[in-house]
Amino acid sequence: MRRRGLLGALGRLLAASVMVFILAFALFGCGGKASQGAAEPPANEPAPPATEAPAAEAVTLQIFAANSLEKALPEVQALYTAAHPEVTFSDSQFKASGDLVEQLSAGAAADLLITASKGTMDTAVENGSVDEATRIDMFGNDLVVVRAVGSDIQVSSLEDVQSDAISRIAIGDAATVPAGAYANQALNSIGLYSSDTGKDGEYAAALVDKVVFADKVGTAANYVATGDCQIGFVYSSDIYRYDGIEAAFVTPADSHKAIIYPGAVIQGSANAAAAADFLSFCLTDADAQAVWSKYGFQVL
Amino acid sequence: MQRAALRGRCVWVLSAVFAALCLFGALLVTPALAVDEAGADASADKNGATQTSEIELSADNRAARFADGSFGITDFSRLNKGTNKTYEGEYFGYRFPMAGPDAFVALVLDETHVLIYLPSEQAERVLAPSDTGVSGGPSLPERFITLLEALDEAAASGGSTLAGFELQSADYRFVSEPFAEWQGYRYDFAREVEPGYFYATVTLPGSEDGSSGALFALSGRLVEASEVSLIETPHGLAAVAAFFSSLDARPFWVSLKTSAVAMLFVFVLGLAAAVWSNRISTRLKGVLDSIFTIPMVLPPTVCGFLLLVAFGNSTALGRWLTSHGIELVFSWPAAVLAAIVVSFPLMYRTARGAFEALDPALGDAARTLGWSERRIFLRLTMPLAWPSVAAGTVLAFARAMGEFGATLFVAGNYPGVTQTMPIAIYFQWMGGHPQVAAFWVVVVILISFVVILLINWYAARTQRYRRASVDELDTDKARAA
Repeated sequence: MRRRGLLGALGRLLAASVMVFILAFALFGCGGKASQGAAEPPANEPAPPATEAPAAEAVTLQIFAANSLEKALPEVQALYTAAHPEVTFSDSQFKASGDLVEQLSAGAAADLLITASKGTMDTAVENGSVDEATRIDMFGNDLVVVRAVGSDIQVSSLEDVQSDAISRIAIGDAATVPAGAYANQALNSIGLYSSDTGKDGEYAAALVDKVVFADKVGTAANYVATGDCQIGFVYSSDIYRYDGIEAAFVTPADSHKAIIYPGAVIQGSANAAAAADFLSFCLTDADAQAVWSKYGFQVL
Repeated sequence: MQRAALRGRCVWVLSAVFAALCLFGALLVTPALAVDEAGADASADKNGATQTSEIELSADNRAARFADGSFGITDFSRLNKGTNKTYEGEYFGYRFPMAGPDAFVALVLDETHVLIYLPSEQAERVLAPSDTGVSGGPSLPERFITLLEALDEAAASGGSTLAGFELQSADYRFVSEPFAEWQGYRYDFAREVEPGYFYATVTLPGSEDGSSGALFALSGRLVEASEVSLIETPHGLAAVAAFFSSLDARPFWVSLKTSAVAMLFVFVLGLAAAVWSNRISTRLKGVLDSIFTIPMVLPPTVCGFLLLVAFGNSTALGRWLTSHGIELVFSWPAAVLAAIVVSFPLMYRTARGAFEALDPALGDAARTLGWSERRIFLRLTMPLAWPSVAAGTVLAFARAMGEFGATLFVAGNYPGVTQTMPIAIYFQWMGGHPQVAAFWVVVVILISFVVILLINWYAARTQRYRRASVDELDTDKARAA
């Protein structure tokens, strides 16, 4: 009797786990249809229904874009899908440009790369990750010093960032985050950073213990929004996508390299034509222009 | 009877825990929502304080009107940047898109000058006699500016605002002709740059860059209040419903799917490794045991690094695998692989411990009865070791669900594909969505709690069974005596 009781319990436990697995798979099948990643979609993913695309072949684009485009780009993607129903987008990767370039060289699959600096795109070209012939400068941006909304920190010049009222400054890790490199270049212009490229240098003694590194520009913005840092160096466009931060000071355009976002189609992309067409749509469509204007990107 | 009572108690404990955690979750999520509401209220109050008439703002910051029904603004947008881009080879200036040919546009020239183009027919259409200032009340431009400043403040999201510049009425300059000049810049309004799209343009003669002629622009349409449709900001339950309807639930399914598939592998591999390592020589066993266990003590990023090096495109091995059709990195199988690697040691160690704790004499006795090794394993070892094996499985499952470092390294953060709950927590927090991060935190705590509760409950059950069988043996002995 006891033994049967134990085995029965085991059986029920096994049956329950099997049920949970089946349920999970069934529900995932229903809930996960947006997960059609261009990057090696799971093998058990059902093929997209072919009924809706009578003329053109259905295409799903995977975009790798600079973190600062996280809110604006999906809106432009929606505009493009509305105009071209056969083209849809899997969730784009919005990371630090340096991370994206690294991820591409490690073998991640994508169709389009947009970075926040010429340097990171140069690296992608050198790595053979992108098709150089399709490279085009897309957007301009500004570098600003931000503070939390309502903060009484005053920054009226770059020199003010050394003020005693500021104990923590959020700056992107210049190795991967272009905004961090631009920030360091601006600090270099007043002698607070040792390298004029904004990378591989040292901060001046007044700053070295205050700098908090962020893995992407959005993280720097978030550190300021949550109050963990009093100020941060981010793009002016980041103000419009994060709640709780405001511009304290716009850094002079000549204190750092021009902030340019280049875009290029990925080398060997299976959807190169669609990716190139989307790239040109971003720059020429009037409705897309309104989105870029709203989020503070200057189309070049 | 006893079991039913126990089960009943378990159900109670579980529901109590669930309720408590839901409450905890609600507490975590609602302050964030409440802050939003408070913020909106505060800004409304601030605007209201300077007004005689109350302003009603749409939740999407695209429209607003006076509550007294005089007039409103619709199709509003704040344009933080323009563009110098040419259209079909022709340069039009630094241009900001306008809401339409009949729309107004306010160009903020600098911190003390705002140029507003308001087409006269549009102003006249909505201009009630009392709004002209004839009857002594504030004139249309003043009330218009009030409404504009309120919309600007709501849409600015931290950018500099008209209200922040503390402008006087005299700082606003109204024009009804579609052009104006100021400090060498020429401003043109409602220019149809491409068919159907109208722009306000800033040009500096002799230059292809007019961007220094305006900081930002506001555009919209001045209409009668009845033409303005407002989107209500959800409150209370509606806000909670809105939160959940906009929530992306995919991280939960990705986590469950990844850990479940990983568990199928880990269960088999862990048991096999435990059985096998028990049968080999002691010296080899020590080495093997270290290899099997090391992912448990290594930081997950080390596992991630090694996996990326092994399967990624940056090494010869990775390229060789890729050329042979094994493209693993940044895909869902990579997430499963990472989960397997980090959860395997938990399964292996608990299973090995359970097997070692068994009396070898039992197996020998079975062998003298002619049982095959397979039968011994299935009918003797496994049933006896099962409580530990089951606990190990559940622990390994929980570890797989909590995996972060190695998964992020080798599988990345692809929403709906490899974005598990722990990864969603990190990226939602850093992406400025603390409420969503808090929600996933609650879900993960809930799952972990249930897992631990299940293990404890199951262990208690098994011990009770063992104690009961010992008692039974004693009764039998007593009876025999």
